[in-house]
Amino acid sequence: MFTFAQIYNPSFKLLGFLDVKSVPCARESVLYGSLGSLVVGLGHFLATSRVRRSCDFAVGGFICTMLGYWFYCRYNLAQHRIRQRMLKEGMRNKILFEGSSLDPERKQTGNERSDS
Amino acid sequence: MANHSQFGFQDASSPIMEELVEFHDHALMVALAICSLVLYLLALMLMEKLSSNTVDAQEIELIWTILPAIVLIMLALPSLQILYMMDEINEPDLTLKAIGHQWYWTYEYTDFKDLTFDSYMIPTMDLPTGHFRLLEVDHRVIVPMESPIRIIVTANDVLHAWAVPALGVKTDAIPGRLNQTPFITTRPGVFYGQCSEICGANHSYMPIVVESAPLTFFEHWSSLMSS
Repeated sequence: MFTFAQIYNPSFKLLGFLDVKSVPCARESVLYGSLGSLVVGLGHFLATSRVRRSCDFAVGGFICTMLGYWFYCRYNLAQHRIRQRMLKEGMRNKILFEGSSLDPERKQTGNERSDS
Repeated sequence: MANHSQFGFQDASSPIMEELVEFHDHALMVALAICSLVLYLLALMLMEKLSSNTVDAQEIELIWTILPAIVLIMLALPSLQILYMMDEINEPDLTLKAIGHQWYWTYEYTDFKDLTFDSYMIPTMDLPTGHFRLLEVDHRVIVPMESPIRIIVTANDVLHAWAVPALGVKTDAIPGRLNQTPFITTRPGVFYGQCSEICGANHSYMPIVVESAPLTFFEHWSSLMSS
């Protein structure tokens, strides 16, 4: 027996535990990591013709690129979430206080009139 | 509540649970990186000829000291941040007490009115159609949504634990001790949990149900319960 989500949105778990479909930034990190691994490994091989060492560099490139993009993407995601929360809070305050004495826009307009 | 055969977390309904889910994803990504490296090294070892020529391995010793230290730092810093975040108590709007008994919970709302009630599991034979077996209770814990709430947990007899996975809350209920935990529900809904410390024969049959509702509904409910 499967849930609707399991049938129509099957998860893909890398190494059996990382669900790259549902975890934000995971898919891009793995893909960029693979690309980085290919570039570094192939580049090293073309430069040195050493297979074993090129494989070492390819794995290192995969790990470094994957983790590097992961930190970058998660940092941007965290900033995006903070902006989203501030926007939500601002919209709610505007709806709640618009036209009332606590309306911040009204206070600013009032200050400008008193200065002129 | 969790679906059957669910492995992952329930959807986060509090800021702390959101942070926990993000940290879990981060930890899994670090675990993937480590597993990739270990798999590669295993494959290398299988293809390598055995030799005893190595007598001095300063470089590899340096690598396998510094790399684990970096991994630990990557995991420890966000973990400690969340750990301290979980203990922040910022002027809660409501203080609620949960007292564990064998085998039910008692809830006390004593901030404004003296409201106390017991919360027993609804037996399967009395369960209405469509309700969740072994999870529903006769009296739910109603809390106002988007309000900081402090829950003080204790027990009357043996050890219990008050846990609601969707809110990221799990607090031990120890006789003679008061443990406090803050939480905020970010959206309205019904959140299920179960006793999380073995407490006897019916340990699995004393669930917790938290219902998060807008403040007006909460006020209406508390006035109805008090009268």
